[in-house]
Amino acid sequence: MSTSADPESGVARAVRRFAVPPARVFDAWLDPALVGRWMFAAGGDEIVHIRLDPRVGGAFSFKVRRGEQEVDHVGEYREIERPRRLAFTWGVVGDDASDGVTVDIVPLEDGCEVTVSHRMHPSWTEFAPKAAEAWATMLGALDAALAGRSSETPARTAERGA
Amino acid sequence: MLRRLAGGEQTVGELAEPFRMSVQAASKHVRVLERAGLVRRSIRGRTHRLRLDAGRLAEAQRWLSYYERFWSERLDALDALLQSEAPESSQALPPSAREESDP
Repeated sequence: MSTSADPESGVARAVRRFAVPPARVFDAWLDPALVGRWMFAAGGDEIVHIRLDPRVGGAFSFKVRRGEQEVDHVGEYREIERPRRLAFTWGVVGDDASDGVTVDIVPLEDGCEVTVSHRMHPSWTEFAPKAAEAWATMLGALDAALAGRSSETPARTAERGA
Repeated sequence: MLRRLAGGEQTVGELAEPFRMSVQAASKHVRVLERAGLVRRSIRGRTHRLRLDAGRLAEAQRWLSYYERFWSERLDALDALLQSEAPESSQALPPSAREESDP
């Protein structure tokens, strides 16, 4: 299992190997009887409903109750290429923006490797790389100027300092 | 000065000065940062003052970390579920062959 969260590209990733064939993993995402058993199994979420229309353009709604609150995870399927790729939008009812999620399944000799890539809403990803870079440049040059050095390559860590 | 930048306001000229960067070039950078919500501009008369808002970058990082954890936990749960249901053969069962389970 590996994960990464890269603010420059606005993508969070989780990668995991499974010891079952790709089709079984793929189908688990689109089978309403199964989705509730792994997507909301832990942590005391009570499932209100799991609804999905497993076709391109079809919508889904996964509603859970967390204490007093009801949270409805909704979206639309954008790509369905069994058993290797699934893509859908993802958001919570009440939020303005919706993110994009892709699930890529690569077959291995004894199973498969699954990568879930969660891309934040475009309003962020459009500007994040340029913003982070511009800021790193400015802070790096500022840093150099303060230290009385001549201009050097800006430090990458400068963007975290922001 | 970094603290000043984070806690205070600068004009574009003040920001540009230590970088040997033209005000024009600094303005371009600042506009990109503004659009991303990292820098806020306040205008008094003909003076534009800029303030760093690093909160937005930090917020995005928090959301990404959240989803990184969210999906890795779910893949763990999916793995556990599929392992517990693994049939002898390597053929995938069609959904109708699976037991329906109550939520």
